[in-house]
Amino acid sequence: MLKNYLLSAIRNMAKNKFYSALNIIGLTIGLVTFILIFLYVRDEITYDQHHKNYERIFRIESSFRIGTKYDNFAIVPLPMAPALQLEFPEIEKVVRFAGDDNLLVRIGDKEYYENHFYYTDSTVFDVFTHPLMAGSLDRCLAEPNSIVLTNSSAKKYFGNENPIGRIVLVDNDIQFKVTAVVADVLENSHLKFDALMSASTLAHRPGGEDFNSMEPMRFWNIGVYAYVLLSPNSKIETIFEKFPQFYEKYMKSLGDQINASFDLKATRIDKVHLNSKLSADLPTGNNAYIKIFSIVALFILLLASINYMNMATARATKRAKEVGLRKVVGAERKQLIVQFISEALLLTFIAYLLSLALTSILLPDFNTLSGKSLTFGVIASPDFLLLFFAISMLIGVISGSYPAFYLSSFSPLKVLKGHAGKSGKANQWLRRGLVLIQFFIAIVMIIATIVVSDQLDFLKNKDLGFDKNNAVVLEMQDTSFRKQAVAFKEHLLQNPSIVSACNSSGVPSRNLWIQVMLVEQENEMKEMAVILTQCDYDYPKTMGFKFVEGRDFDKNMGTDDTAAVIINETAAKQFGWGEEAIGKKINYGMELDRSGGRVMKVIGVVKDYNFNSLHNKIEPIIMFISPQPRFLTTVRYKEGEKNQALEYIEQSWKEFGNKRPFDYKILSEMQEESYGAEQRISTLFLIIASITLFIALLGLLGLSSFTAESRTREIGIRKVNGALTGDIMLLLFREFFWLILISFAFAVPVAIWQLTNWMESSFVYYTQIHWYSVALSGLVALIIGLATISFHVVRAASANPVESLKYE
Amino acid sequence: MIKSVDLTRIFLTEEVETTALRQVNFNIEQGEFVAIMGPSGCGKSTLLNIIGLLDNPTKGKYIFLDHDVTNSSERQRAKLRKQNIGFVFQNFNLIDELTVFENVEMPLIYLGIPTKERKQRVEEVLEQMQISHRKKHFPGQLSGGQQQRVAVARAVVSNPKLILADEPTGNLDSANGEEVMNLLSDLNRKGTTIIMVTHSQRDAEFSHRIIRLFDGQILVENFQSN
Ligand SMILES: Nc1ncnc2c1ncn2[C@@H]1O[C@H](COP(=O)(O)OP(=O)(O)O)[C@@H](O)[C@H]1O
Ligand SMILES: [Mg+2]
Repeated sequence: MLKNYLLSAIRNMAKNKFYSALNIIGLTIGLVTFILIFLYVRDEITYDQHHKNYERIFRIESSFRIGTKYDNFAIVPLPMAPALQLEFPEIEKVVRFAGDDNLLVRIGDKEYYENHFYYTDSTVFDVFTHPLMAGSLDRCLAEPNSIVLTNSSAKKYFGNENPIGRIVLVDNDIQFKVTAVVADVLENSHLKFDALMSASTLAHRPGGEDFNSMEPMRFWNIGVYAYVLLSPNSKIETIFEKFPQFYEKYMKSLGDQINASFDLKATRIDKVHLNSKLSADLPTGNNAYIKIFSIVALFILLLASINYMNMATARATKRAKEVGLRKVVGAERKQLIVQFISEALLLTFIAYLLSLALTSILLPDFNTLSGKSLTFGVIASPDFLLLFFAISMLIGVISGSYPAFYLSSFSPLKVLKGHAGKSGKANQWLRRGLVLIQFFIAIVMIIATIVVSDQLDFLKNKDLGFDKNNAVVLEMQDTSFRKQAVAFKEHLLQNPSIVSACNSSGVPSRNLWIQVMLVEQENEMKEMAVILTQCDYDYPKTMGFKFVEGRDFDKNMGTDDTAAVIINETAAKQFGWGEEAIGKKINYGMELDRSGGRVMKVIGVVKDYNFNSLHNKIEPIIMFISPQPRFLTTVRYKEGEKNQALEYIEQSWKEFGNKRPFDYKILSEMQEESYGAEQRISTLFLIIASITLFIALLGLLGLSSFTAESRTREIGIRKVNGALTGDIMLLLFREFFWLILISFAFAVPVAIWQLTNWMESSFVYYTQIHWYSVALSGLVALIIGLATISFHVVRAASANPVESLKYE
Repeated sequence: MIKSVDLTRIFLTEEVETTALRQVNFNIEQGEFVAIMGPSGCGKSTLLNIIGLLDNPTKGKYIFLDHDVTNSSERQRAKLRKQNIGFVFQNFNLIDELTVFENVEMPLIYLGIPTKERKQRVEEVLEQMQISHRKKHFPGQLSGGQQQRVAVARAVVSNPKLILADEPTGNLDSANGEEVMNLLSDLNRKGTTIIMVTHSQRDAEFSHRIIRLFDGQILVENFQSN
């Protein structure tokens, strides 16, 4: 019996090659998209679940108030975790991670610069689960100068030799002995490390930070990532409830003095990746995008299923006769339903196999695009294959059942009298409705793609209030090189390609320094946390800031290096100074009792510039002359002479004995780095829009082919009665034209609404949605749509009416 | 008006060659009423299709209204057709989705006649065919006889010189059949040339002349005097 159904299904498929191919292609593309998004989303939502105790591990976080300014950080003061453990029996273990960028690592005479090395407590492997590859986890980080490597780092440093017991020199040649090797940190971990070094090392260094000091001041310095492992059955809320007593004991008196307060926050580790929106956090995912992608995956699957239903019912007329005959010779309705569903199942099964193959082919490209490292192993695992098989078959049953019930309901008498096709009026509207939905989604996606790319252009081209072009930024990591910053700058300026240069603690898009200072108010000085840049005399000039009031720093004034400060417009406004900012006082660097510090007067107000990405609004910022060289040197070169300038800078870099390899950042790109997510979304939208459009076009192709077939008689009659081929083409095109136009009319408000929401919630500065972007998307859909159907339309319109009017 | 010289039509389908018409010669004058008779499959419809410029002869020559259309393009033939020929079929060939009025109006639309004039002419013709009370109905709501009257109305609405009818009474009972035949002879009396394929001797008696086909060839031509 089953064999019978299968045979008939295969035969039917072979007979309708065109429809079968359309269906299989559509379903395969739908399934591939679905699998890829599924894998992506699954990876994103299972972050850090590989730790055995992940349900008991929390990352503790900070919520600070300084003056009137609130900020939440992913890091906590250094003594926070151990102090919590002392006070709260609910906490079983704590572990802290302190990292540094760009650490110089030496093995023998080989040098490496590493970013994922952390000093950590010896408890790390009691809290987290990392499979051991070599050595022993027992006391592996207990002794000072111990290091644990990951498998890849061990391979990189020591090749195939046994790494255990070997020496690694880190930072300023601190010696570490390898005590263990653990497996590489899984891709879906929010904290990825290449090596862990024993924190006790620090305490044994002259001037080194004591990891275990609990001095009150240390509770007010932000510092490390810290995790707590709760004892079984304990709740993190218990700790929150009891935290006020803790605050009282450890932090309050100093906090009151500096007009600050602190509150403890925590996030279970598996929630960190998608839910964290904190300052100083490790790279995290984005929950909103996960939602968008999940919806898109379901939609694409829906579109592909719609195609199947659409084409299967479209063929109903042709198959009506078969149904009638089968019924006459005794087929029951049930059997017919089973037969039609098995046809759908066969088709989905083929699509299932094809999509598995295609997914594994596309996986590397997908990894590049998504920043994941998914492997074929994930797809080949039995539970995934089974799950996905079940999903495919479900699609088969669902999309097969409508045509099955519809087809099997034909009455044999009517069918054999030739009336079957006429039942199709409602059915025809359903089919059009389905294609309408497909085009609706496709057009929404096209509009989204165009608008997102418009927004990206806007982000890149907006006037930021400073001159971001023709400038590079150098990091002065090497401390002895940094000491020579002034001489280095003078040296650079000798080159004709270099226009100006400056040294500063920050540049636009790189400004993390925020500090409490005293700001002049009506009749008192008031504490405020303000973002600041310490710089040299040439900083405002090199950046191209525009002064709206007052003047730039001036060496000839004699006192600017200690007594002058330049602020932005927003600062003038928020400090309540308005137009009268010049001459107002700011005291920076005072002691806790407000004594001492550097009292400066405002000498100039610059036009607001976007020193953060356009996601953020402009805040007050101040700049003043730094007593010593700072971390960044910015060099502005003549338009078109970038290469000459860079060559000269590199040469000077080496002449000054910089121990670091030459490296630089382009000022304009530093800003654009913040738009990585948008860039990725833009690419993804383009792909998704193409896929949805493609599936919609398959649907349209099926519909047009069906329309052409089912209207051949009408077309014949019209031609016999005087219609020329052109008249018929117009008639058919018009129908699809309206279909696409109506989809467009529905799509436009939905797209605009959604995109406006997105832009308003993600950006402070955003582009308008241009009417021509929207019109363009409609035009694209229309032209591609009409081109798709033209084959069938032309064929139907030029057919000889004699053929179509022949009656059997 | 119409003249054929050695008209031959051969169909090629899947290696089978069917000669539907074999060197057929005839002349039809303006104002004639000609019936074509013969057994099923003898080539009657094929001949009518060629006369109606819906099909091309394989060999021979066909002259329509002094135009040699043997080698003219599909577009030229379509233009000649819409200006000069009306068709009536055995199975009516009305469009189910259009009303009676819209069905009849169709040829006028393709002739580019303005709306107002179209309305007037359709009303007139429907009146003439005594079907105007049904103009808002759809074909499915009409009896066979009524449907054929609509089809005749559509064929004549553009005042064609020639009406081609392929077994117009084949699907009708005798009363309705006779009514349609009366309509056709009325039209003929007013000057329209009519060529009609029929199986019925009774219908053929309405004509001036009967062409009898057998196996693709003209067997006899009978002139009748009525
Ligand atoms: N399109 C076609 N393709 C192949 N053979 C055809 C075609 N149209 C008609 N024939 C054949 O030509 C012969 C004449 O057909 P037709 O003119 O329809 O006969 P009639 O109308 O006299 O019954 C028949 O044998 C028929 O099978
Ligand atoms: Mg015939």
